[in-house]
Amino acid sequence: MAHLSIRGARKAYGATIALSRGDFDLKEGEVHVLIGSNGSGKSTLCKIVAGSVRPDAGEVLINGKPVSIDGPRAARGLGIATFYQELSLAAHRTVAENIGLPELPAKGGIFVDRDRLKAVAERYISRFADVAGKGFSADTRVEHLREDQRQLVEIMKTLATEAPILIFDEPTSSLDRSQVERFFDVLRELKAQGRGIVFISHRMDEIFAIGDRVTVIRDGETVATSLISQTDPSAIIRQMVGEQGELAAADGAPPAAAAESSETVLAVTGLGGRGFANVSFEVGRGEIVGFGGLHGQGQSAVLRSIFGVSPASQGTIRLKGEERTIRSPREAIRNGLAYVSGDRGRDGVVHGRPILENVTPIHFLRNKLSVVRPGSLRERAAKPLSALKTRFAGYDQPVNALSGGNQQKIVIARWLIDRPDVLLLDDPTKGIDLQAKADLFALIRSLAAEGMGIVLYSSEDAELLANADRILVFNGGSVSRELKGADRTRYNLYHAAYEAA
Amino acid sequence: MSVETAGRAGVSRFSAGALVRQPLVIALVLIVALLALGEMLSPGFASPQQILRLLIVAALLGIVAAGQNLVILGGREGIDLSVGGVVSLSAILAGNVMNGSDAGILPAILACLAVGALFGTFNGIGVTLLRIPPLVMTLGMLGVLQGLLVVIRQGVPSGRAAPALAEFVTRPFLLGLPGIIWLWLLIGVAMAFLLRRTVFGYRVYAIGSNEQAAMLAGVPVRLIRILLFTLSGAFAALAGLCLIGYAGTSFANVGELYMLPSIIAVVLGGTPLSGGKGGYTGTMAGAVLLVILQSILTTINIDESGRQMIFGLTLLVLMMFYGRGRAMRA
Amino acid sequence: MSASETTAASRSGIAGLVERFPFLPALVILIVLLALNGWFQPNSLGFRAITGLISTYLALMMLAVAQTYVVYSGDVDLSVGAILSLVNCAIVVLMERWGGGGGAVLAACAVGILTGLACGLLNGVVVAVLRLQAIVATFATSILFTGMALYVLPVAGTPAPTVYWRTYGGRFFEIPFVFYVVAALAIVLAIAVRARLTTQMLAVGDDAFKAFQSGLPVTAIRLKGYVLCGLFSALAALCITGDTASGDPLVGGAMTLYSVAAVVLGGTALSGGRGSVGGSVLGALIIGLISSFVFYVGTPSQWQNLVQGLAILLALMLGILVTRRVRA
Repeated sequence: MAHLSIRGARKAYGATIALSRGDFDLKEGEVHVLIGSNGSGKSTLCKIVAGSVRPDAGEVLINGKPVSIDGPRAARGLGIATFYQELSLAAHRTVAENIGLPELPAKGGIFVDRDRLKAVAERYISRFADVAGKGFSADTRVEHLREDQRQLVEIMKTLATEAPILIFDEPTSSLDRSQVERFFDVLRELKAQGRGIVFISHRMDEIFAIGDRVTVIRDGETVATSLISQTDPSAIIRQMVGEQGELAAADGAPPAAAAESSETVLAVTGLGGRGFANVSFEVGRGEIVGFGGLHGQGQSAVLRSIFGVSPASQGTIRLKGEERTIRSPREAIRNGLAYVSGDRGRDGVVHGRPILENVTPIHFLRNKLSVVRPGSLRERAAKPLSALKTRFAGYDQPVNALSGGNQQKIVIARWLIDRPDVLLLDDPTKGIDLQAKADLFALIRSLAAEGMGIVLYSSEDAELLANADRILVFNGGSVSRELKGADRTRYNLYHAAYEAA
Repeated sequence: MSVETAGRAGVSRFSAGALVRQPLVIALVLIVALLALGEMLSPGFASPQQILRLLIVAALLGIVAAGQNLVILGGREGIDLSVGGVVSLSAILAGNVMNGSDAGILPAILACLAVGALFGTFNGIGVTLLRIPPLVMTLGMLGVLQGLLVVIRQGVPSGRAAPALAEFVTRPFLLGLPGIIWLWLLIGVAMAFLLRRTVFGYRVYAIGSNEQAAMLAGVPVRLIRILLFTLSGAFAALAGLCLIGYAGTSFANVGELYMLPSIIAVVLGGTPLSGGKGGYTGTMAGAVLLVILQSILTTINIDESGRQMIFGLTLLVLMMFYGRGRAMRA
Repeated sequence: MSASETTAASRSGIAGLVERFPFLPALVILIVLLALNGWFQPNSLGFRAITGLISTYLALMMLAVAQTYVVYSGDVDLSVGAILSLVNCAIVVLMERWGGGGGAVLAACAVGILTGLACGLLNGVVVAVLRLQAIVATFATSILFTGMALYVLPVAGTPAPTVYWRTYGGRFFEIPFVFYVVAALAIVLAIAVRARLTTQMLAVGDDAFKAFQSGLPVTAIRLKGYVLCGLFSALAALCITGDTASGDPLVGGAMTLYSVAAVVLGGTALSGGRGSVGGSVLGALIIGLISSFVFYVGTPSQWQNLVQGLAILLALMLGILVTRRVRA
């Protein structure tokens, strides 16, 4: 079997440094956990080994010999197989075809050996057959599968390579408990066979259940490696957030819950739709309401439905006391709502375009403008941009030249030229640096103090605890608990999030 | 999507974005070089009269390419294959409405623009509301237009340009330049204004670059896209009108000569087919470049086959400078 | 994840069928058109009429197949018509030059096929290796190929040897030659569906980057698609030479866009990732049947093109809408 090491791996995308120093070591027969907050560089590190990202510097050694990984195919040749977080499945192909895709078994070198393909697929499907759920078979097309089932296919696809080195980048994010346990059974077998396994997950319990060693990565740097048996969750969290993070969290003493008595700006009753049901809550003027819970429990879906992206099928939305039907983001904006997505690449940034174009669309809409006056636009944009401490060279600079945090500040600033009544934040700090986070939350708190109603969904508990007046914990598409006042503790949040999971 | 993947997409777009201004430079340099080459091969090629003639031809192509440019900027595989049909239809319509009389010019302009805009709007509706891919929709529309041409023409060329129109297109109008060149320059200024100084223009880039983000920022994506196709139809119709002024009478499927060249002009001008970046100034240069290239090939003494081969190869070489797709591995 | 709750078991019915056989909507349109043709002109369903239809549209069928192989992986080839023209001219000229005998015909056909492969290879290099945009790059190569066709045969009119078109239009054992070709094509396509390359091309069309991450040699796969496209374009040229019995450097000009239309009519998504070559063959036949239907219902001659154009546009829209409705 094989022993993998990475020395000083580095990767920058323009101004964004995704990985500044990656050192990693994987022995045979171990599960080595890689952990770090979103955007800390885990995936980049994995993709360098997987061959799909070209490192700027550093080397990869297998059994002590430096190797060059020119692409995913080369990686496969070196005995490395990767589970991609965003999955690498062909939606219109069947489960069996996807499992066998990297090395389709051939008859006569030309034709697909259907029987062998099916046999291989069945071998891996059978391992998960009783936990895969309804409608999962070798002939099903991946497009018809649920998210968890797709994740299982990607797992099987990775396993089917029988590679000595296996990298799993968040393989369990959509799996239920029984599926995870089955997966872990398989991992333990592989470990016993002497394979080396890299495992990435955000779930502390999983890490302690399956890991042998853990490497923490923070802000693009691998900071420490320890034996799982000699560490504990709080030590790992300390390494993940670092000194600075601890300070920031302590710093952000939540504002007094003065919001209680104030006017309600947003009231949602019995909201239901795809991915959530029966969600009710109110946001007062000047209040920050947090959405917590594990990732993907309906928090984003609720926010997006309030904003009219995919309107809810049930329930009512009241804005400043008046009931509104919001069928599109356009209507939402006209009604004084604002929405910032954490997936700025997909939902926020107008790529390759100047900052001025990125910061102005909402202003155009709310003021029904038709002609652009760059001079006055610059003036108007300057205030929110400087309030966010945005660093940029000029309004004509393409937005992609900025770092992730500054890009997100541009996207947020577009909503603040004309003040909205309610700001919906959908995990807004995903993948941005600590300083940008601090700037952002400082602004959010001052916006609340000025009377804006804010809904903040964050996948990082510390952000919620430090900023939200109340926290609604989501579980399986509805609110399972509300944490107020002194109940807002890390323990309670963690506990509520895992209650039903 | 984590920051890693976001960064990946973002940066490759940025580096391509930095090149946006370059295609214009490349095109201008090539234009000068080709003019010099033409003058060497055939003295008189770069004479003022010759250049004027080239510019008239380029203006016709450039006007079609204006609409094509807008549709392509709007992204989502935006492309308009029906422009050729609209040019032909508009030419024949204008010829018949004017029938050689100056009084018919205004009705001809109105009729042509209305018909062009109408067909463009049909395309836009098919592409947005029915979600037919633009290539398929405009290809189907091209077939309809070609059929319509046969009906109108009934097999014989018909219609004549009004004298004033012919004069406008071919004779000096102001400062020694024919009217059509002034018209083209006006369109150039108007397009620059539209794209850089209007909310509509900002929105075109937004939907072309990131439709999802544009939608979340309240841009009426479908309306904008329909309008782009409407404008494309109208520009093609305008070109058809000018074309009959240039040629005097319309002949069979004259517009087909503009279909793919209009796309090439846009690409050579630095607007990639993926949309969201580029602009019309480059496209104008692209149109001039294309026309000069064709013209050089007609002046040198080789037969049609050699000309076409050189033209095709030259286009391939030119494209190497522009809009190459990005490598899989970043 | 629109179909998240639908299970494979419940996806029987029409949806499941269309998914497994993407050409089904095309087949229905085809049958309806056949019925309509038969209704208006019973002779149109006769042996002679069908033979005529097939010998006229066999070239487009081949060309549609050619186009499908690049569309599978999300590409497009606007030079198929020009390749067809080039090969048509090349073989006609070679057959004449080599004496027009049986051996000359076969040798010329072999050269024609090699020419098609070479053209496809060039397209593949330009699009897959050099990463130029497929639409404009293959348009440029189409100009190049047209120029070469004009070089080989400056003016239309050189006749193909008698033995060639007699064979194409003739019969063996009372069965028209073109039927054998159709049968052979059907067999080849049925086998090709099982090829590893087909699955790989479709996976690339689904999402090229994910296919790359899966370790597929994406560039090589797309390149092979273009080479196949060149091959079938050359075969289309052999057919059109049999049908027109002469060389014409511009014969394929209008056929490129019809090949794209046929592919779409056949239920193949232009964005890549799903479809079938069989559907494209049906799509080509639909285009043929539409024009004969327009003729049979007695449309005045000058209206025929318009009605045909409208009918094709309608069929294109209908096909896309039905397929989407069913799949949703």
